[in-house]
Amino acid sequence: MVVLGIESSAHTFGVGVVDNGRVLSNEKEMYKIGTTGMIPAKAAEFHVKNAPEVIARAMERANVGPKDITGVGYTRGPGIGPCLQVGELSAKSVADELGVKIVPVHHGVCHIEIVRALSGLKNPIVLYVSGGNSQILKRMEKPKPHYHILGETFDIGVGNMLDSFAREIKLDPAWGSSVEKTALGGDFIDLPYTVKGMDFSFTGLQTRATELAKEGKSNRDLCYSMQEVAYAMLCEATERALLLTKSTELCVAGGVAQSTKLKNMLVEVAKEHGAKFGYAGNEYNADNGAMIAFVAEMMLKKGVHSRIEDCDIEQKYRTDQMVLP
Amino acid sequence: MKIFSEGAEAKIYSTDVLGQPALVKVREAKAYRVKKLDEEIRSSRTKTEARTLQRAHKLGVRVPRILAVGKFSIYLEQLGGKLMRDSEHHAKTFVELGKMLGMMHNGNIIHGDFTPANVLLDGSRVALIDFGLAEVTVSIEEKALDLLLMKRSVDPKMYAAFEKSYASTCKNAAEIIERLAEVEKRGRYQVRTLV
Repeated sequence: MVVLGIESSAHTFGVGVVDNGRVLSNEKEMYKIGTTGMIPAKAAEFHVKNAPEVIARAMERANVGPKDITGVGYTRGPGIGPCLQVGELSAKSVADELGVKIVPVHHGVCHIEIVRALSGLKNPIVLYVSGGNSQILKRMEKPKPHYHILGETFDIGVGNMLDSFAREIKLDPAWGSSVEKTALGGDFIDLPYTVKGMDFSFTGLQTRATELAKEGKSNRDLCYSMQEVAYAMLCEATERALLLTKSTELCVAGGVAQSTKLKNMLVEVAKEHGAKFGYAGNEYNADNGAMIAFVAEMMLKKGVHSRIEDCDIEQKYRTDQMVLP
Repeated sequence: MKIFSEGAEAKIYSTDVLGQPALVKVREAKAYRVKKLDEEIRSSRTKTEARTLQRAHKLGVRVPRILAVGKFSIYLEQLGGKLMRDSEHHAKTFVELGKMLGMMHNGNIIHGDFTPANVLLDGSRVALIDFGLAEVTVSIEEKALDLLLMKRSVDPKMYAAFEKSYASTCKNAAEIIERLAEVEKRGRYQVRTLV
């Protein structure tokens, strides 16, 4: 079964082709954020301009023609409305034009599922960390199969915190990796550490670090300490979830999973409790179309798809709202 | 020492103090944290836990008595019973639990991880354990979060019995329950009842 997947929830317009769980291509174009952050209308405009070319390129790289395709998946949410709409419309045109099935999917679930499958885990505790999301999840079968949210951020996602702080101290984008580079060799400064059971909060940490930056504390020490504190909070909450559910598997997914530092810390958590640790290459942690195609194919194999006229977007689509294949 | 239970926060070992069976809760070093942060978290949480446990006891809440406190460890009386998480839930338990949390909040202690995993049942006797994330605070929000954690961990009917009893004990319950509704509306905090 050859399935096309379209991702456009934020600054990436990505298209991937999957055949029986095998990724044949994973192409993308990224809207340049510059120093301003993302302007939704401009990002959407960028996606509109690039959509036809990226779709064609993904099919060409995968060496598939229009007749080979069985279905098309797209990100229903969560994400930025105008950006999501471009992916939705692209998928609808492909489905209509080729007369193939269409499958709306949840962006986060796709990040998780491709990591889980590629690392050969069955039912792991998942730390899903990106710009807008920071959640700890585990698949549960009742009432319907879904990723149950065991814990999550009370306010902003860890990625957004790192990005906002990096902009504040005028680091270059991509901010996550800029913070990681700036942090090298830093000394530890006390910053607010907020964990409540399996939930956590990042705004206090962001505010305090910003204050200290204005007071003249070094960027290096602040970046170092912010990363140490934020990732330690995530590790503590994840560790608690691991013990509470008596799980023997752990994995990390989402944009912030690109951080080597975070992965190394999670390896320690897994090691301490004898759990298997899974992660995927960064092409799947960054936003991409292949993960969308991957989950859409899983759905199609279970006979699940939507009618074109029922397809929509949902900016605040929560991870636990998607029924899993 | 024999390991009694293991949490993310600490390990608990069986021991004895002056011939009496006791537990010692030790916050061991975490390899993933930098040393300075690690020691700061472990020692300040140990201190806060001892302080809040002591205060809860004075308020008349049933908690394990403290026998001794070290830099990263607390020696505790060993209470009998079974975790509420692993027991059948009865409305009576929730009435007692509501009263206990009401007393704690009147004395400005929040539990911080108020779930059935931290309640001990011994027949009809209820005890609160694991004050690892407890704090002394007047914050309405923090108190509302205690309610929220319980609300999303148990059956809605049982929670209703709990909240009613809490409201009749806690002095500013109305304000706290109102804040809980507000907190839930923020979207991030949806009720995530375990199914």
